[in-house]
Amino acid sequence: MRANKFSKAVASIASLGVLALVSTAGAAEVAKHPRDLKFGPLDFEVPDATAARHELSNGVPVYVVEDHALPLVDINLTFRAGAFLDDESNPGVASLTGTLLRQGGTQSISAEDFDERVDFLAANISSGSGDTSSSASLDCLSTVLDPSLDLFFDMLMSPGFDADRLQVVKSSALEQMKQRNDDPRSIAGREWQWLLFGEDHFSSRSLTAAELEAIDSDDLAAFHRRYWRPDQLVIAVSGDVDTKAILANLESRLAAWPTTTDLVPVPWPPAAPSFTPTPGIYHVEKEIPQGRVSLGHLTESWSDWSDPEAYAAMVMNDILGGGGFTSRLVKRIRSDEGLAYSAGSSYSRGVFWPGVFSASYQSKNSTVALAAAIALEEISRIQSEPVSEVELRTAKASFVDTFPRRFESASSIAGTFAGDEYIGRPHDYWTHFRDRIGAVDQAAVQKAAQDLLHPEKLVLLAVGPWDEIGPGDADGRANMGQLLDGEVHHLPLRDPLTLEPMP
Amino acid sequence: MKRRFPSILGTAALVGMLWVPNGLGAAESGSQQAKVPVETFELDNGMKFLVVQRPELTTVSAGWVAHVGSANERPGITGLAHLFEHMLFKGTRTIGTTNIERDLEVIAEQEALQEELRQHYRDQRARVRRGEIDDPFDPAARTPEMIDLETKFAALIEEQRSLMVKDEFDQIYSEAGASGMNAFTTEDLTGYFITVPANKLELWFWMESDRLYEPVFREFYSERDVVHEERRMRTESTPTGKFDEMLGAMFWESHPYSWPVVGWPSDLRVISQQQAQDFFATYYAPNNITGVLVGNFDLAEAKTLAQRYFGRLERGAIEPPDVVTLEMEQVAEKRMLAECDCQPQAGIQYHTVPFHHKDSYPLDVMAGILNGRTGRLYKSLVLDQKIATSAGASQDSRKFAGSFGVNVEAKGEASPEQLEAAWYAELSRLQNELVPVEELQKVKNQIAADAFRGLESPFFLLIQLVYYDGLGHWEYLNEWSELTRQVTAEDIQRVAKAYFAPENRVVGLYQRKAGSVEEEMPEGFDEVPPEMQEMVKGQIRQIRQMESVEDLTGMVTMVEEQLGAMTSPQKEVMGVMLNAAKERLVELTEAGEEQ
Repeated sequence: MRANKFSKAVASIASLGVLALVSTAGAAEVAKHPRDLKFGPLDFEVPDATAARHELSNGVPVYVVEDHALPLVDINLTFRAGAFLDDESNPGVASLTGTLLRQGGTQSISAEDFDERVDFLAANISSGSGDTSSSASLDCLSTVLDPSLDLFFDMLMSPGFDADRLQVVKSSALEQMKQRNDDPRSIAGREWQWLLFGEDHFSSRSLTAAELEAIDSDDLAAFHRRYWRPDQLVIAVSGDVDTKAILANLESRLAAWPTTTDLVPVPWPPAAPSFTPTPGIYHVEKEIPQGRVSLGHLTESWSDWSDPEAYAAMVMNDILGGGGFTSRLVKRIRSDEGLAYSAGSSYSRGVFWPGVFSASYQSKNSTVALAAAIALEEISRIQSEPVSEVELRTAKASFVDTFPRRFESASSIAGTFAGDEYIGRPHDYWTHFRDRIGAVDQAAVQKAAQDLLHPEKLVLLAVGPWDEIGPGDADGRANMGQLLDGEVHHLPLRDPLTLEPMP
Repeated sequence: MKRRFPSILGTAALVGMLWVPNGLGAAESGSQQAKVPVETFELDNGMKFLVVQRPELTTVSAGWVAHVGSANERPGITGLAHLFEHMLFKGTRTIGTTNIERDLEVIAEQEALQEELRQHYRDQRARVRRGEIDDPFDPAARTPEMIDLETKFAALIEEQRSLMVKDEFDQIYSEAGASGMNAFTTEDLTGYFITVPANKLELWFWMESDRLYEPVFREFYSERDVVHEERRMRTESTPTGKFDEMLGAMFWESHPYSWPVVGWPSDLRVISQQQAQDFFATYYAPNNITGVLVGNFDLAEAKTLAQRYFGRLERGAIEPPDVVTLEMEQVAEKRMLAECDCQPQAGIQYHTVPFHHKDSYPLDVMAGILNGRTGRLYKSLVLDQKIATSAGASQDSRKFAGSFGVNVEAKGEASPEQLEAAWYAELSRLQNELVPVEELQKVKNQIAADAFRGLESPFFLLIQLVYYDGLGHWEYLNEWSELTRQVTAEDIQRVAKAYFAPENRVVGLYQRKAGSVEEEMPEGFDEVPPEMQEMVKGQIRQIRQMESVEDLTGMVTMVEEQLGAMTSPQKEVMGVMLNAAKERLVELTEAGEEQ
């Protein structure tokens, strides 16, 4: 998070009345004002990824970062598995497999017993699964690393997927499903995803109650057998380990992992959505006092991690709406106009498919249009005018100053490098990061805004009561009909259990 | 408990406290213990420093602790220690104003008006005693003179605000890339802390010494009202707040722990700035303060800076007085029967021992036996008997005295009496049977591992040093592991018999008031360890009472920043509080827009 931002405006005001005040003898060497203090540079070098990288005999990469300050070990396995491998006729299996892996015991140890044993060792074991990756983690004292690894690998290789535990997880998932339309956030999140990526892509899929109900322990076991396997892995290890010893240990454990003879190929990278968003204004009706709005469009995916324009885009977005209180959207929508408490923008490049540029805010219904008009104005202004020197400096500093914190612990170093390998990002992305940010100038920011922001492609989604949102504010400063092409597509609310459009 | 992010981080730190100190080093081998190399030095004025060098970092987590808390107050000025914590963010002669001369004049004029008002409140209290009015602070009962004084006072506040640079203290730190500024007050200590980039350590010395050297208690009276609001939000508007306060006052008979840290409302209305000045002179003298640094810095340079900046402070004229009143022995059971808008619950509390007492270690281990998803309370009350949704126990070791508490929340139709009885059954097991070897070992292992995990983050290491030094013995950080390792099953049985007699307990039973509805907890609540759920609920209720969008936004930002560096269980705890804060933000803005 880069939230605490700079505000130089008050710097000179404060020192006016105080010049003569500090007079005590002991204070002679002390600067009169903290802004007069001079600081040296912050020394920091990015750790060496190559030195941390090792490979097991089956080709699995293992990043090891030793740190013997405390007798603790962290191990994280990332598997090429996830919703992208779900059978279309049986969605949700990948996700539940990830959840139940840890909770469902193993084939030889009951779920309860497994919990007891993990607790006895004071280990933390977890597992989970997302759209394009699944993972399992262990952290424990180095003194009990081996017995902890025994449990961890028993879980990984022969999970129990206990039916009772599955029932518990399913019933709580069903409870959450029932609340799908309670919170405008979840409505907006769902529809926004669909508007940009379509409903059919696995990353857009929301489970129905019937689909959830259809999943049983056998599905999970079958999915696990097919995809959670030792040849589809990136491993990160950190803490109190000897590199050689842990590599040998992992080598032998992976060798003992039973694999089926009919290994199915894992499609990699995961398939991108084949959807083209239609620009325009979209609306979902919901009786709330405050409309929730996103407007944006698809961006690029990362093909070249050294592309200077990518870094210029980061700085540009920071100035536009990504940089908290000092950013333009926050200043105008929140501070100047008082139209919303939260407003901001984000620009991201996708890893496996295009990313998203979006500005979003909440505002009382009658000023939703006004805030949108301001956002559009700011998007156009950052394209047509160069940003100020101060804005540029502040935005760049916020990236550079907080950069070292990413590498402050052994586990985040190992995790960052393993993550690079998983998504195909070169490690030197980090070595060059600060220089590339440093090279961004005012012209580059403006060019990035011109090249990468596309007002004609904007999709605007508003969730809230249309009879208040549509007409706009009482002073007639803006209404929804004036925005974009003025045409509004009213989207139906979906039934929370079937996701069918509701009348 | 400062004004921006009320108590949240303070509590998070205390959450860490509950887990970290109670264990021992690597029980399996006994070969490694959590020994932290702490360097110490002392300035001529008596200010002590504890420093831990961590050259691999690019930051310094820095803080200081004043050895003062609500236990150092007396009737009439309760809440002052906490109010002070707020005041120290109001700036100095240099920070926070555009015109210090006029600022100080305004403060003096305010003080004079308030002195007159206090005389009127004296009369108002007399009117209450005579039955003429019900509440001395009722705005409707003000005399014309009082209204006139308040009007004049309000004008002075306005003038002062026009001279102020709002939140400048905060701003200067933020501009420099510092993060996580906060403070907390307990019965025993007051701690202040922040994390700064390693190359800006001098800024920390400048800022912190400045607010001790030339503080200006700006907006004292409006901040007093803020604290009063905070009290209303935390204590008076939460379902169990008032009852918890009453239980605390019932529990401590003679000891100053009997009043709440936030203070009694009648005191908060009349505390004077002069009382604050006296308090400052006595308890915020350098000889009552310890500075703490954890991070990447040069030791010699840190010593030079400490001398240059904090060396400016003068040793206090008198040594801060000790707390001399001892808790009276309890001779009969006390019970509170409450009806509240809450899930039925039971809390049972026993007088035990203070921080670092030899029996605090077996009591900590005993709490460990009871806690956790595989602990006795959860297995018996939640899983087997299905009468509770959560249950937890803890030994609360304060500086001057301690207690052991058990809290259980009912499930379905279970009554608080059933919960109470179920606890007594568990207690008698502890009194009559030795804890099996394996179970004892499990707890020692968990305590050891969590202790090490607690040292991973430099920030939490700082907080522990602040906290233990505040309780009077920072060395505890490096000593408890061995002391806890020595705890035997016999020790646990002995303390279970020694401290848990019926006449030594205070029981609070909470019935749901007819017609009240069940409260819902935010997403992620189930992930919170069961023994912490009650505490977390309390925090969530406070968050749900917060009214300031700015405070909430600040809190969300800060927690999000620090979440990445946290480990279990802080991560789960802070995660769910974050969700609560976000929900509250949405509620507030929606409500605000409606007006």
